[in-house]
Amino acid sequence: MTKSDEEVLRVEDLHKRYGDHAVLRGVSLTLTRGEAKVVMGSSGTGKSTLLRCINHLSPPDAGRVLLEGQPLTPATLNAMRRHIAFVFQDFNLFTHLKVIDNVRLGQRRILKRSKAAATERAMQELERVGLADRAHYYPAQLSGGQQQRASIARALAMDPKVILFDEPTSALDPELTGEVVTVMKQLASEGMTMLVVSHEVGFARTAADEIVFMDGGTIVEQGPPSTLFANPAHERTRAFLKVITHQESA
Amino acid sequence: MEFLDFAGEHLPFILEGVPVTLGLWILAISFGFVFGLVLAWCRIYAPTPLYLLATGYIEIFRGTPMLVQMFFIYLGLPEVGIVLDPFTSAVVAIGLNTSAYQAEYFRAALLSVPQGQMQAARAMGMGQTQALIHVILPQALRRVLPQWSNEAILELKFTSIAFAIGVSEITARAEQVGYRTFEFFDVFLLVALVYLVLTGVVAEVLQWVERRVHVPGVTTTGAAAG
Repeated sequence: MTKSDEEVLRVEDLHKRYGDHAVLRGVSLTLTRGEAKVVMGSSGTGKSTLLRCINHLSPPDAGRVLLEGQPLTPATLNAMRRHIAFVFQDFNLFTHLKVIDNVRLGQRRILKRSKAAATERAMQELERVGLADRAHYYPAQLSGGQQQRASIARALAMDPKVILFDEPTSALDPELTGEVVTVMKQLASEGMTMLVVSHEVGFARTAADEIVFMDGGTIVEQGPPSTLFANPAHERTRAFLKVITHQESA
Repeated sequence: MEFLDFAGEHLPFILEGVPVTLGLWILAISFGFVFGLVLAWCRIYAPTPLYLLATGYIEIFRGTPMLVQMFFIYLGLPEVGIVLDPFTSAVVAIGLNTSAYQAEYFRAALLSVPQGQMQAARAMGMGQTQALIHVILPQALRRVLPQWSNEAILELKFTSIAFAIGVSEITARAEQVGYRTFEFFDVFLLVALVYLVLTGVVAEVLQWVERRVHVPGVTTTGAAAG
């Protein structure tokens, strides 16, 4: 949690609608370097849409996203996405590639690293997430938790300025979430800038610098976990926290 | 024994047509492979005019007989100044025809790759074409291989239509032997056996390729067990 005041990601007034349904209704937030922010809220409140709009996987209808002051535009999109890693709920490892090639592909094809450099870096990142011994397995031969850790290694190898996590543990069996949360906590403590959509209360409490609570397509409340968990100002936040902290203790 | 004597005498002449048959086949399915991919791409990713063009092409070539297409190319096109020799005409006819079928297999295979794969590739900064080449195609081609193998073997047999415009492939040579000897029973039995051996070998090779490129989670384990 080595925070600085240097702004990495700025999201300005994002709007997104699908048909008649306004999913995002003016969301703004900033991430400073080294900051870990967790976005919470009940399902259907636009959390995942927010992440997808940030890297323009779903282009926002209105609003801006700036990375280190540079706006994402259709022209700059591919060049800027390499700095914004995305970790998916269902991993989306490239199924035809071994774990090590998953971690090498972006390095080779996008960052144009040499094969030796990409391999060395891939092994470092796999080591970091505890999967060095699975480097030559195919994704289908791994457990969900291992696949998600591999996808985090794939993200890290790109030297991202920020990582977006879209419910990284939601597709996992409960006994497998721990290994992924451990890796994420370690990243947060090492100063990785991250924006995490997750219901992992354990991660939010111990690793997040700030919790953002969303409801109905807007941010209703944000603050440090100590404040937000102990003393939520908003009724919706209280109701939501009651449900998820209850689940945690169950 | 009589058949064996007959085979011993006439098989070499028929086998001289094997390079022609295989040449027709390899050129036609390779052409069909490349053009089929282009057509499939048009059907999924291209703007509407290209989509309509590709769709029309596929419907026309799947809806008319290959023999008619070949006669049109060999006998009809000279009237508008396009003169192709028999071998080239046959390659073009079979190639154009198979490309329409291959396009539909490729399209289905491309669409069968989960959307998350494209999203993950785009999210790391790949352009659409780059993602297609490095992520989508390698999976789609693995998945399409069993159907593609069927198509390839079908086309190997379809090369026999080239005899109708005088290409000296194995069916044409068998027919010549037939009219020379009047042993039609023996000669067509013989040439059928030659086709059987060719398709058998090709099927084995393609199954070997399937096993070689098998990846758990992309293709089913049936190929690996074989």
